[in-house]
Amino acid sequence: MPPPVPRRGLRPYRLAGPSWCLPVVFFLAVFFVVPLAANLLRSAPAGEAGGVLFYYEKLLTDGYYVGILLETLKVALVATLASLVVGYPVAYFMVRHAGRWNGVIVFFVVVPLLTSIIMRTFGWRVLLSRRGLLNAGLLDWGLITRPTDIAETSIAVYIGLVHVLVPFMVLSISSVLQGVDVRLEETARVLGAGRLRTFLHVTLPLSVDGIVTGCILVFVVTNGSFLTMLLLGGGKINTLALLIYQQFVTTQDVGFAAAMGNVLMLVAALCFGMQYWLLRRTGIRR
Amino acid sequence: MTKPGVPLRLDGISKSFGGTLVLEPLDLDIKEGEMLALLGPSGCGKTTTLRIIAGFETPDTGSIVIGGRDVTELPPNKRSLGMVFQNYSLFPHMSVGENVAFGLKMRGSNAADRTRQSRAMLEMVRLAQYEDHAVHQLSGGQQQRVALARALATSPAILLLDEPLGALDKNLRERMQFELREIQRKLNITSILVTHDQEEALTMSDRIAVMRRGAVVQVGHPTDVYDRPRTRFVSEFLGTANVFTGTVAQAGDAGAWIVTLDAQPHAQGKTFAPEPLAVGRRVTLAVRPERLVIVPPRDGVIRAMVKDLVFRGSYFAYELVADGHDQPIFLYSQTRQILAEDGRVGLTWAPESAVVLGDEA
Amino acid sequence: MTRARHRRRPGVPTILLYAYMALFLVFIVAPIAAVVAVSFSSSSYIVFPIPGFSWRWYWRIVEYRPFISSLIVSIELALGSALAGACLGVPAALSLARSRHAAAGLLSNLLLAPISVPAIVLGFALLYYLSALSFGITFLSLFIAHTVAAIPYIVRTVLATYRALSPNLEESAAILGATRWQTLRHVTLPLVRPGVFAGALFAVLTSLDNLPLSFFFGSANTNTLPVVMLSYMENQFDPSIAAISTVQMLIAIAALFILDRLYGIERLTAV
Repeated sequence: MPPPVPRRGLRPYRLAGPSWCLPVVFFLAVFFVVPLAANLLRSAPAGEAGGVLFYYEKLLTDGYYVGILLETLKVALVATLASLVVGYPVAYFMVRHAGRWNGVIVFFVVVPLLTSIIMRTFGWRVLLSRRGLLNAGLLDWGLITRPTDIAETSIAVYIGLVHVLVPFMVLSISSVLQGVDVRLEETARVLGAGRLRTFLHVTLPLSVDGIVTGCILVFVVTNGSFLTMLLLGGGKINTLALLIYQQFVTTQDVGFAAAMGNVLMLVAALCFGMQYWLLRRTGIRR
Repeated sequence: MTKPGVPLRLDGISKSFGGTLVLEPLDLDIKEGEMLALLGPSGCGKTTTLRIIAGFETPDTGSIVIGGRDVTELPPNKRSLGMVFQNYSLFPHMSVGENVAFGLKMRGSNAADRTRQSRAMLEMVRLAQYEDHAVHQLSGGQQQRVALARALATSPAILLLDEPLGALDKNLRERMQFELREIQRKLNITSILVTHDQEEALTMSDRIAVMRRGAVVQVGHPTDVYDRPRTRFVSEFLGTANVFTGTVAQAGDAGAWIVTLDAQPHAQGKTFAPEPLAVGRRVTLAVRPERLVIVPPRDGVIRAMVKDLVFRGSYFAYELVADGHDQPIFLYSQTRQILAEDGRVGLTWAPESAVVLGDEA
Repeated sequence: MTRARHRRRPGVPTILLYAYMALFLVFIVAPIAAVVAVSFSSSSYIVFPIPGFSWRWYWRIVEYRPFISSLIVSIELALGSALAGACLGVPAALSLARSRHAAAGLLSNLLLAPISVPAIVLGFALLYYLSALSFGITFLSLFIAHTVAAIPYIVRTVLATYRALSPNLEESAAILGATRWQTLRHVTLPLVRPGVFAGALFAVLTSLDNLPLSFFFGSANTNTLPVVMLSYMENQFDPSIAAISTVQMLIAIAALFILDRLYGIERLTAV
């Protein structure tokens, strides 16, 4: 019997070959990777007085800039926590109690995304400013005698931020919460756990995946946002992104702005790295 | 109208995945109009073989020859095949009729011909009235029949079936087995059925190829493979087998051989064998549960005690234990046996009910 | 999900939850409603509640040319970049979705990366880079930037949709005689379309609102609406901002409504 014919070089059956990736990879290499790399270089100019890391040193040693870095982190942390606290009950309601109304609630949570951030931030200005609704109400009810400019306080910035961020948090958490079998909670109740204990020991731990994703997403978005700080708060909150914007508009110090941008990117990269690491550790596959 | 079937031949087909040999060089000859079942446990290579025939995997060596034409280098759409998957794989965005007509449309049939042919196919599987329905409106069994109609609409040379009835419940499965077989016979289309269900293989096929770990262990007619398994694996994969080891004692009457079983000192079982057995040779015998006979203890080859009895609807299944034999012995009987108080029995069998098993490859 | 035949009186926690939800919904809608209300204000100061009703700010939008022209630029940009993102991203997503190659994971991450980069940093980097390549501040530069931003949204949803499809579907098509292109046209693309639409929808919405990215490419005829709105706000702070915001929102809602009528949003985006 003749030996079997060897088959070399037979192409396996594939619908979309690897060459289909080429256009987009080329596009992103040219218009994404290289510009960001150039940005990196731009932030570390050789020959500049003070050496290659001049801008970074300035950022990390000058009190003013360090203050801004810390403020950025603080704002992001507070906004993230606030969004979590505000958003978790909403997600819980959506998944456990809404039933038929679920679609309506999703609509309302998502509809802000159909409007521009400027519109929403402007709306808060309208509501919170001296001649806004809040003051009008408080004055009418005699709670205050003179209108306060809440729109110019830091609180306004947080309100504006949370308003923009909560939809992201709610969607992240609800998608994971949906996967938590309600029967687990029922089992806990049958075994004698009260509502609070059931929530703390069963529901919350099982939704950690969504909490982590939501928090990291919100944290990174907050870091990169500056419109809210620009339009609300009267300049009291100054973050890195806002600084970059101002640098560009006023001083045109390209190298410095580039360095600040890179720090921002680094923070974002760290966050996503942490998310990847955290989600792997909890053993929950996405 | 019976069209002539097309023969299929596999010559030395082998396949490795990432360094592990999944299929040893395989030769199979499937005659025109025959339904061959590839039967084996998961991982035995049967699905890989089918996918190689279909053209979704490329063999490392060997040829696939359909009707004398070597198709190994051809892509799947040029091999003139029909295929039915376990999960039906009907196109969810098309109606039933559009699904069935799809192959014809790809080959450039005009609309009138397509409609005519697809209607004829749907008639054949008795679903003509569902032509305009959406796929998801049909039950599992109905969807599978549509899948069959779709596969046959292009009049393929070979029909491939990848565990087609696995997703159906038991009753439906049995009915579909007969239906599928009927259609296959009527069209005289050469078919390959991949299954891990031995009942399905026994019911539906003209020949069974039992596969294990990438190799074909035995090929033959269902009754052949069942009554005369060549190895212990085959005997245990197809049905249940009671396996006894022993030594050939002497030649008996009428061509039977007498084997002294290891289990008990006076146990002397009889068997036929395809070739003469050497006295003193070690053999392994297999006896099917339905071939064991209960006799008074002193008349039996083996002495055993009844441990359990289960009624399986169409027969009684006895589980027995015998001294010296560590596996339970199974006996199937259509009627209830009258047993002694202490449950002790003797078991015996006719020499043609025993098979000498070969060594495992 | 079965509901209990009898309903127990809701306990206090549940009532509190319902109350909280009501407050939350008010919270979400309040600023949007406020802006719509202000757009009809008769006063040129931002006062709320509004003293009187007037259409004057809507006329103002038409008068102040940059509003309408930048709205058109924004819409063209959003639709165009989503389309370009789809043309680039869909083939790659199809190729990567089922690949077991080591590089596939890496490439997927590259395609999804632009989302993770803060828009202000990307815009800044692209501005200087494109200027160096003498692309200058043109619509083309803006278009490139927004396409980069659109790609991840589309790739993400197409990957998810395609991976959820059984490979047997395309295999069935092939066995039935379809060439690769026929399979793509008749089976793959129709089934992947919800993913493309969902991703494109996200991309369009993000692009319309993307100030940080567009900000760097502003010029007389390449300004997008958010950029124009911001500079207007910094100079003249009057309700015309409210009017143009309301118009933008209505256009987005109308577009969604039309899409729903034509195709059914659920069907379109059911990933």
